[in-house]
Amino acid sequence: MTRLKILQTVIFITAFLIVLRLFYWQFVAKINDVSQTLSQDEIPASRGEIYTSDNFPIVANQEAFLFYGKPKEITSVKETASKLAPLLISEKYATREAQLSDDEKKQKEEEIKKQEESLFSKLSSKSLFWVQLARKVPLATKQKIEALEISGFGFENDEKRFYPEASMGAQFLGFVGSDKLGRDTGYFGLEGNYDSKLRGKPGRLGQDTDPFGLPILVREFRPLSPQKGASLHLSINRSIQFIVEDKLKAAVEKYGAKDGTVIISDPKSGKIIALATYPSYNPANWQEYEENLYKNKAVADTYEPGSTFKLITMSAALDLGMVKPNTKCDVCSGPRQIGGFEISTWNKKYFPDSTMTEVIQHSDNIGMTYVADKLGVDNFYEYINRFGFGKSTNVDLQEESPGGIREKEEWRPIDLATASFGQGIAVTPIQMIQAVGAIANGGKLISPKIVDKIEANGKEEIIKVDDTKQVISPQTAAQITEMMVNAVEKGEAKAFAPKGYRIAGKTGTAQIPVSGHYDPNKTIASFIGFAPANDPKFVMLVRFTEPSSSVFGSETAAPTFFSISKEIFNYYGIGPTEK
Amino acid sequence: MTRDFKIERKEPNFNLVGKIKVKVLVAFTVFALALIFTQLVFANNLATDGNKLSNTNEEITKLERDNTTLKAQIAQESSLTVLSQKAKESGFEKPTKVIIP
Repeated sequence: MTRLKILQTVIFITAFLIVLRLFYWQFVAKINDVSQTLSQDEIPASRGEIYTSDNFPIVANQEAFLFYGKPKEITSVKETASKLAPLLISEKYATREAQLSDDEKKQKEEEIKKQEESLFSKLSSKSLFWVQLARKVPLATKQKIEALEISGFGFENDEKRFYPEASMGAQFLGFVGSDKLGRDTGYFGLEGNYDSKLRGKPGRLGQDTDPFGLPILVREFRPLSPQKGASLHLSINRSIQFIVEDKLKAAVEKYGAKDGTVIISDPKSGKIIALATYPSYNPANWQEYEENLYKNKAVADTYEPGSTFKLITMSAALDLGMVKPNTKCDVCSGPRQIGGFEISTWNKKYFPDSTMTEVIQHSDNIGMTYVADKLGVDNFYEYINRFGFGKSTNVDLQEESPGGIREKEEWRPIDLATASFGQGIAVTPIQMIQAVGAIANGGKLISPKIVDKIEANGKEEIIKVDDTKQVISPQTAAQITEMMVNAVEKGEAKAFAPKGYRIAGKTGTAQIPVSGHYDPNKTIASFIGFAPANDPKFVMLVRFTEPSSSVFGSETAAPTFFSISKEIFNYYGIGPTEK
Repeated sequence: MTRDFKIERKEPNFNLVGKIKVKVLVAFTVFALALIFTQLVFANNLATDGNKLSNTNEEITKLERDNTTLKAQIAQESSLTVLSQKAKESGFEKPTKVIIP
């Protein structure tokens, strides 16, 4: 009987110990093992890459890590924080000490101090099992931290974006930040517009693991592999984009402009070849730049187009047969009074009886009011709509603005007159490219697009262009093209034009409205055109905000346009056609 | 005699059914035990194979990571920003005259 009792007691004690151990593995060990809880549910999906037209990954992915600490396991918090802080500051200080200026060295020291304080406060929270210390930590930093051999820290995969061409195309690419839940999310440009496609679908582990993290193969196994996001293939030509950014930066600095924008597209397909704005930012360190740089001015910024808009007014009048290229202006001998306002030319020079071709050549505001009178508000408004102003072009970039055209009923005679030479209406640079692209394309308007195809799981989806609309007849397009060629060859900017090429173009100098009036010293200088005029390979807009060396488009935007054009001619192998 | 005959007739039948039942029960028990034992052996083997699977998965992940890193390095080295800088350092200049055939 006694022996039986002893046996019973042994059995009970063994059973109790087993239950106790199981409880430990099930609850205590599970809570402490952070790596297991972090990885067992979601397997993050890699974001899709973005390629330029030569299949170069302008946006790729890079191995990076989420760095966490386990406060309960860290003994000397202060010492640990001071060791880690220099490794977790901004990547911009990752250059050699000697390359940093005194100011930058000071900033670096301040940032290290801040980081140290932040680490100390996080690691001092002893009630926490786990605390996130940094995200998107590069591999090199991870290796440096591991070399310190401090216990109580760990890493989890946290892939990040990599930009081999640094800030190239930053404003059409956008950047990747985090949403409320800490998941990677695209903002602005292509990253914003195609976020749902680029982000892919995260997978699930769906597998039981033992306390050491090893899979238990006899248990249920239903893993769901993550699906990598779709990759975008752009129509952007990397070489032309490089040339454009280089020239634009030099020009903005040379002319002392506040900012500059260049858009180049193929008028026959609507595909964007290059799109640059300066100043720009580096999407890898987007947090360190001012927020106003994130928006792509080429699609989000509205401005009064000035004389470049004369092309639209003249196209409308030619298309309706209200004027012909040789129609003479009978009001062009001096300033005009309209609705109590005086309209004059930009240089106070007047050309009586000038033809419509000469009106464009001289960029004659009075000549344009003559054309506007012929058109009337209804017709003019109809053509403004036809050319796509006042509504989105449907370019595949997130932050596009529709511009601003007043309701037809609100137009007074003075509004008709000023709109005819591009003042009093607000357009976006991409709308101007779309409209002048239609002139270059025989009168057919095509919505601009930057993505050629989307590739996902080995399948390709070609992005089709929206329906083309014939907004003016091919004859009208040919007539206005000849007027533009004449303006380049005989106009204010003729000295800068490359010899032997037929380039169609028009300058624009628009005053900027400030507190209800126009400031004569603040202008938006632009030049829009296409080449070669007979068989256009590209349509380009160059725009500067508030250039200080000269307020005129003919002295700032036009030389930049021609300088970029020369490079494109060489790149495409387009030779001069005339001697 | 009649009584004895009745007893003799019933007893052998009862024993036969009982014996068959017991045999079937034993067979099933042995079979079930064999299955349990087999499962235990296989489960035991599989449980230790988790280590191998884990190692293989780790290897795959490592290779994928290396691939990503190499791709990024190739892209960086062939970027126009880097190439133009290297060209400048090597003394290359932009052509002033371009002949287009």
